[in-house]
Amino acid sequence: MTAVAEDRAVQTALAELLLTMADDEFVSGFTDSEWTGIAPLLEEDVAISSIAQDELGHARALYQLLAEVLADGRDEDALAYDREPEEYRHARLLDHARGDWADTIARRFLYELADEARLASIGAGFKPLADLVQKLRREERYHRMHVVAWIERLARGGPEPRRRLEAALRAQGLDAPTVFTPLSGEAALIEAGILTRGLTEAEGAWRADLTTILVPLGLELPPHIGPTPDGRQGHSESFRWLWGEFTSVRRSEGGVTW
Amino acid sequence: MTEGDVMTTVAAARAGLEPYEVFRQEKDGDPMRHGGNVLAPDPELAVHYARELFGRRNESTRLWVVRRADIQVLEDPDLLDPPLDRSFKKPGGYVMRDKLAAARARAGTEKPAARAESHDRTGGRRAETK
Repeated sequence: MTAVAEDRAVQTALAELLLTMADDEFVSGFTDSEWTGIAPLLEEDVAISSIAQDELGHARALYQLLAEVLADGRDEDALAYDREPEEYRHARLLDHARGDWADTIARRFLYELADEARLASIGAGFKPLADLVQKLRREERYHRMHVVAWIERLARGGPEPRRRLEAALRAQGLDAPTVFTPLSGEAALIEAGILTRGLTEAEGAWRADLTTILVPLGLELPPHIGPTPDGRQGHSESFRWLWGEFTSVRRSEGGVTW
Repeated sequence: MTEGDVMTTVAAARAGLEPYEVFRQEKDGDPMRHGGNVLAPDPELAVHYARELFGRRNESTRLWVVRRADIQVLEDPDLLDPPLDRSFKKPGGYVMRDKLAAARARAGTEKPAARAESHDRTGGRRAETK
């Protein structure tokens, strides 16, 4: 049915790419969903919950593609839920806990724009992914609009919101580049046309994008620290807690379904 | 924080919010119908929230989001329900449908189709396809 890459090296590299993308969306979505019921405005409660659902939907679609590529008998639920915390390959940026509203907005802002640069790097080499990315980009447009609106409002909202936003950006800025942690199979992916550029180049595009928004608001850019080879490993205590939450139903009874 | 502090903070936060009325359209060509309202600090976020509460499940093709303070309201009974009898303004007893049917009968013509071939269902002219 789907044209899975023939070459073993490309297949492995593609699986790695899909896993990082899926885990990123999955963890980001679950963290955002922690606002359900307690967001600062009723309308924001609906908005953030809806965004979280979008991200989980994206994760699901990516895990489904990954399942087809791996073809090892695992389905998307097994991939999403049946791993130990240290086996997840999301960026360390997403290990940060939900925090207060400024923390969430800062994390979402740094991640959303990074994800946009990554999605813009996906080429036509593996058609199911290229097709999926076209749909994802249409939904992500709205996520970007929402988070940029909030960055602007917190930055200009008075001393307290601005102070909290600056602190949040500083605390998470060091981990922000981990979204662009180099993949071991990048060269193979570029040759197969699955990536149009390496992740280091995508990071450059991300920084240019951040500059257009942060500089006019007088906010600091994340520091430039060079590639982080272990940027998707060594996950935090807060992620272990989150893992406990999102696997609790699955672990309570093996093979449980709706 | 004491409960008094919390309530003051809540009141202050809510002071920055305004109601925006949301009108929605099920499909293109339908009239805009009032769907409800949202509270928002400004027009840009009002549009976001309107989308979340009235459009996130593909239920609308179009939303109008209007600041309630910008809506002009007329509810003056002197203007809308004046006291003197003006029933002569209503054409009661003159039913157009019956008059047209009688005219067609005299002329021997058919009732035309509800919509002309040359126009689509929103009243727009169809493009010429040769």
